[in-house]
Amino acid sequence: MKLHDELVTAVGEAYVEAIDERTWRVRPGSAAEVAEVIRRAGEHKAAVHPIGAMGRLPRLAPARSRVLISTRRLDQVLQLDEMSLLVHAQAGLTGLELERILGPRGLSIGDYPPVVLTSSLGGIIAVRTPGKSSARHGFFEDAVVGVSAVLADGRTVHTRVAPRRATGPDLSRALCGSEGTIGFITSAVLRIHQKPEARLVAAYILPSVDAAISAVYLALREEAAPSGLRIYDHAEAAQHFDGLTLPANHALLCAGTAGPTDLAACDRDLITSAVVAEGGSPTDDELADLWWRRLHAGEPTPGPVPSLQVMATPGKLRAVYHAVLTQTRAVGAATRAHISRFDADGAVMFFTIQRGGVTDEDAVKLAERVVQTAGGWLLGTRAVKLDAYLNALRDALDPDRIMNPGTLA
Amino acid sequence: MSVASVKPVDVDRLHRDLEAIVGPRRVSMRAVDLDTYSRDMWPRLLLAYREGSLPSYRPHAVVWPEHVREVVAVVKLARELRVPIIPFGGGSGVCGGAVPIHGGITIDTKRMQQLRSVRSDELICDVEAGLNGERFERDLARRGYTFGHFPSSIYCSTVGGWLATRAAGQLSTKYGKVEDRVAGLTVVTGRGEVIETDGPNRALRGPSWTQLIVGSEGTLGVITSARLRVSPAPQLRVFRGFEVDDVAAGTEAIRRVLQRGLRPAVIRLYDELDTLMNSLGSHDDAPAPSDVQGVRAPLPPIETGALPAWPAALPPKPDGVVERLIAMARGKGLRRGAMNAALGRSHLVNKLVGTVAEKIARRGCRMIIGLEGARIRTEIEAALTFSELESAGCRDKGEDPGWAWLRHRYAVSYRMSPMFRDGAFVDTMEVACSWERLLDLYHSVRAAIGQHAVVMAHFSHAYPDGCSIYFTFAATAPDATASERLYDAIWRDGLEAATRVGATISHHHGVGLLKAPYMVGEHREAMAIFEAAKSSLDPDGIFNPGKMGLRSRSLR
Repeated sequence: MKLHDELVTAVGEAYVEAIDERTWRVRPGSAAEVAEVIRRAGEHKAAVHPIGAMGRLPRLAPARSRVLISTRRLDQVLQLDEMSLLVHAQAGLTGLELERILGPRGLSIGDYPPVVLTSSLGGIIAVRTPGKSSARHGFFEDAVVGVSAVLADGRTVHTRVAPRRATGPDLSRALCGSEGTIGFITSAVLRIHQKPEARLVAAYILPSVDAAISAVYLALREEAAPSGLRIYDHAEAAQHFDGLTLPANHALLCAGTAGPTDLAACDRDLITSAVVAEGGSPTDDELADLWWRRLHAGEPTPGPVPSLQVMATPGKLRAVYHAVLTQTRAVGAATRAHISRFDADGAVMFFTIQRGGVTDEDAVKLAERVVQTAGGWLLGTRAVKLDAYLNALRDALDPDRIMNPGTLA
Repeated sequence: MSVASVKPVDVDRLHRDLEAIVGPRRVSMRAVDLDTYSRDMWPRLLLAYREGSLPSYRPHAVVWPEHVREVVAVVKLARELRVPIIPFGGGSGVCGGAVPIHGGITIDTKRMQQLRSVRSDELICDVEAGLNGERFERDLARRGYTFGHFPSSIYCSTVGGWLATRAAGQLSTKYGKVEDRVAGLTVVTGRGEVIETDGPNRALRGPSWTQLIVGSEGTLGVITSARLRVSPAPQLRVFRGFEVDDVAAGTEAIRRVLQRGLRPAVIRLYDELDTLMNSLGSHDDAPAPSDVQGVRAPLPPIETGALPAWPAALPPKPDGVVERLIAMARGKGLRRGAMNAALGRSHLVNKLVGTVAEKIARRGCRMIIGLEGARIRTEIEAALTFSELESAGCRDKGEDPGWAWLRHRYAVSYRMSPMFRDGAFVDTMEVACSWERLLDLYHSVRAAIGQHAVVMAHFSHAYPDGCSIYFTFAATAPDATASERLYDAIWRDGLEAATRVGATISHHHGVGLLKAPYMVGEHREAMAIFEAAKSSLDPDGIFNPGKMGLRSRSLR
């Protein structure tokens, strides 16, 4: 049978769309249909590419038949276990759609940046970026308790749901971050949270970015568990808060805390003492309110999308920030940054690098080199030295390389 | 256990080649060493050992490398000669994971034992795999940090062993299990290469190699060192005892605490029989520490429990399940025969629990809770935690039971021998699931094991989404063969009950030989991913063959 007819058999005519003579987009309505599509694609040695809510196309396999599988119809909550605070949701549901289902029940997916949650759950889990983290709930992947996925041979795997286990490697971590190359994620079981009893925000001015970074880690060492933290350097603060002029080289720190009221207040106080210890002082909380509203209530953030995202571990944040700032400014770029998404691994720096109001591409390229020398991590880094092991792992599961073949290769 | 085949090996050549790698003093083929490395602490192996049987499986050689280079050379040699490699840490595993069922070279990692560095800015240390757990924790404490990992095996287990098995410490509710604390691994793979898996997890694309290797129990490679997250040493410790009507009320109280976002370091709930045993060998009346009321000095030394007294003398106030069982039996003037008779009628003892024990003792279930950490936050969290427990119906029993638990927390593991000496056997089964299924799991496994053995349980590692249950069972049979048969039946019925409820068959002891037959039930089709990792990292199948339910590859 021709691949087109097989796809029609698998998902129904209405959900198969021929894009060109060897490329089809299918929209399966169940995990079983996904398995059927992949099994049939495999028989034809056709490449299988996942497409999430954003509809973004991965790098398509050249010179072979291709089946693009959209998760758009896999948009159901399969089970909500309010007693264990677990939700089993299909991969095509977006984080925000899930949040809308959880909200009325007093539940939440957690304090992740909403910009992250606009993607489908499958995409959030399958593609690792440093921004998918929150100071309070950690890296998004840590919320994944179980994954269901279809392997290249059409078999469906369900990693078993348990809070922790000691039964071999964490097999779901082979699927998370693997961008559809190990398995096609059809659903996931996620930890969710009760909405906090209290939320507090506060803003502080510190004598430098370094002092702000020190204050943050001083507070984290005292075990404060804020719901959000952001450091703006002098230029970034002026850009984001119209009319705000900090003394030269000073930095603005916005902090949110959440939880039982006493703990939220405790955490805020711990941050305040840390700020004072680093020579800073509280300022108008309205700044923090505005920051939080922009982050979580959809108020627009001024300015362009940052030119460069850089992850750095706690010990390297200062060095990376200063290296980028100094060297890009030396070639005439206007560079500014905010630092956010703090967790135990470190934080993410968002640099805006411009010349005459537009992104300075040369300076951005320079910054990328500077970051690597200074020990930071660029978006999309791969452990290249382990490629041979990844290839062998893929060979074992997918000898014909049908699963998103151009990716991680 | 199936009979494993050991292929013939040119031992003279093996000896010569290993000597060329590590020198004559760090390789051994002496019978006494091979016997020593023939087993770990899997209780099933003790049944035959007790009767004086020689070990069934011995390695061909034991080596003690001191550097990753030597490990690489040994792995390359094993590849060339097609002999297995069994990584070995402290030998404290309780599932037979380090038993050389196909012979081969046992690599004892204990001479790689440096705490190389502690980075205060990153809160990460770099430590070699063979470092003993207690020494690791003591070295960190000296520098003002803790890893927060306190298994009862801490005196006889290694950092590498913890990583290989996904171990848990008693304070895991705050610090996490060992897999939650790993930033990177250095591993010698079956290709004879050294790989490092470091890098911020969220910044690296592709599967998480760290999480694929942690828990692989030596089947994918030898972990030679690791970068682990440390925490500042606690400034404050708060411990208390509570009691609650029954297991259902107790687990509900724990769930409320965890889901409110509170993170005690430890929270333990004992079921009725465990509570009764506790009261018979009670240390409830132990005096409170007099130094500071409710507050211990910072950086408390690790208290040794029964260790100095082991194994010659028993401490005056017995603790631990085994001792408590014996104390119960002996307290009533029973001797060996009578204890065996009691264990032989396990269903009666188990039945007692639901009726007599509870009613006579009127104690309900005992709960131990402890918090530690930075002073201010710990104080506030403790107050919130205790008030949450009280509002959930738990009754405050003061600090003494909490401190008493802390003092004796390592004692239990060292007290198996008297029970074995007296002809019985004892083991523990640690399973875990979501809160929704937890009571189902408790009742199902208890019923399944209760057909064969006296069984008690405590709930000791809690998470916002679920909890583990630690079953302790004791039984007796006339001889080693009958004991083994009974032992196997207990595990079969217990684990099948756990799988049926949807729980995991192991929370922190690992798989080894014991649970290997149940791995397919646990992971089903997902075993394909484990098999793929195996073929990638250990293409010749030299690492710890015959374990964890992996397909055996023939070592041609």
